[in-house]
Amino acid sequence: MLAIEAKNLRRTYSSRTGFLRPRRTVTEAVRGVSFEVARGELFGLLGPNGAGKSTTIKMLNTLLLPTSGTARVLGHDVASDPVAVRRRIGYVFGGDRGLYDRLSALDNLRYFAELYGVEPRDQRRRIAELLDLVGLTGREKERVEGYSRGMRQRLHIARGLLHKPDVLFLDEPSIGVDPVAARDLRRTVADLRTGGTTVLLTTHYMAEADELCDRIAVIAGGTIQALGTPDRLKSRVQERDILEIEAYGAADEHLDRIRELPGVRGVAAEERGSRQAVMVQTERGADLHSRVLAALDGIRIGRVVTREPTLEDAYIAIVEESESGADRGPGAAAADRSEEVVA
Amino acid sequence: MSFLSLSRALTRRVVRTLRLVVVGGAISYRALFNWTTPPMFIGTLLVSPLLQLLFFVFLGRQLRVADDRFYLLGNAVVSASTACVYGGTMAVANERRYGTLGAVLLSPRHRAPLWFGRALPYVLNGLLISVFTLTVATLLLGLRIPVGALPGLAAVLLAASAGCSVFGLALGALGLRFRDVFLVSNVAASVLLLLTGANVPRETLPEWMRAVGDVLPLTHAAEAARELSAGGGLDRGRLGAELATGAGYAVLAVVLLAVFERGSRRRATLDLM
Repeated sequence: MLAIEAKNLRRTYSSRTGFLRPRRTVTEAVRGVSFEVARGELFGLLGPNGAGKSTTIKMLNTLLLPTSGTARVLGHDVASDPVAVRRRIGYVFGGDRGLYDRLSALDNLRYFAELYGVEPRDQRRRIAELLDLVGLTGREKERVEGYSRGMRQRLHIARGLLHKPDVLFLDEPSIGVDPVAARDLRRTVADLRTGGTTVLLTTHYMAEADELCDRIAVIAGGTIQALGTPDRLKSRVQERDILEIEAYGAADEHLDRIRELPGVRGVAAEERGSRQAVMVQTERGADLHSRVLAALDGIRIGRVVTREPTLEDAYIAIVEESESGADRGPGAAAADRSEEVVA
Repeated sequence: MSFLSLSRALTRRVVRTLRLVVVGGAISYRALFNWTTPPMFIGTLLVSPLLQLLFFVFLGRQLRVADDRFYLLGNAVVSASTACVYGGTMAVANERRYGTLGAVLLSPRHRAPLWFGRALPYVLNGLLISVFTLTVATLLLGLRIPVGALPGLAAVLLAASAGCSVFGLALGALGLRFRDVFLVSNVAASVLLLLTGANVPRETLPEWMRAVGDVLPLTHAAEAARELSAGGGLDRGRLGAELATGAGYAVLAVVLLAVFERGSRRRATLDLM
């Protein structure tokens, strides 16, 4: 039996604004997503902000009903049999919210142990185990309002594991977490997979996905653009070279100028404090070094290196291809969002 | 399955449900009730209702509408409303504030013990506040309440607090659907003050207001409490009416919570602050 099975999942959000002349906005967040996750697999769902990752997870964990399509978790339909699904899953949120600030970590876990049906006689031992696992032993009696972001995140994970779920949804668990805590988090997730837990992970950190995931789906514009093992996704850009340039003040016009160069297959810029890392994907063997630097004329340039493509480069290529495809498609933008005046 | 194992399974289930009501209710009270600190509790829930009682007693004396006993008993009963109405609302609406609503709704447990467990501390809170207000005001104003009326009064105040708490929970259920649910609580608290007859003799109200008052919590309890303090004995009919009103709101709360939870999955309203 599959752990997760999504078939043509769609989700539309409808919102109403205005009082005298109300307007209804309909947004298609997920537009026909299908994938399968085997038991014990660690499956990554990657995509830019607003791509539909969290909406997909919320349909799978029963917090949202699909507008159409079906999904099953361990054989249970998420729409018609939500209680059976909830008994078998855990959900870990990313970010600061989602915990009772006025309570201690211990009381947060005690409360959710009751909510998630942990046997009373097992609660004390289970909570102690989890506090130890996430490194909060000794701090468990402190109020959560005084916790750092990393500590909160670890408490989220402990909560998600209280009832030993068979399937764990991790929704951007490492967001805002420092590198040491993120490494510990990756180790915890890897251990869970080794222990037989199926994990569905969404993240923005490609190195994390590359290290952990058995398979990855890249979602953009509400649809899956690519699905496969990290190596397979990387192979999509193997015929490319990556020119990585440290720049100070590269604007969109600079990136557009690079994009227009023959032999350039994609450009992305990542903010890194006061500087930017401009990643230029070029055709293998095309020596575009000097022409790219000329396109960045007028701004300060730091280190320039040519390197092998990574999963991040593959991801950028997939997302850029999907965006350019959407731009070309007739009425593609209108398919995401539509507005109508309510009578 | 043998009788013994069946009995064990049943006992285990009952214990787990009771834990959800009692332990879960107590922890969620500490997590979600805004006035748990001693200054907030004393100021908002003990001193404020007492001052309100004295205000209406002295106003009543000035206007000669009713005697001290009328206001004392009416206000002692209605003093539970702040803790019960706002408590019930906070029990649901504050989940949004902390972003915990999703985690709670992912629980596979039955919803009735989960939510009613949350109302339980407010019942006890309401009872404590009513008893405190009644005791202190009686001493301050020098009124006598027959000792024999005390058990009946305790039963009436408990029924009033229970009814008002589930009324608050029903209002709190709106928090699963609407963001500004405390607005509804503010209006509800004023409605209770006006229509339950706590401070305004009900016979002076228009008929439609009396009709609304009949289906509100506290109305029948206030009347029963006044009769008891006047030495008239426990009016079981009024106590029964108060309990029936509470039961009605309990059913309404369960229905609304179920409907809005289902609706939140359909409309995606859980993440809205």
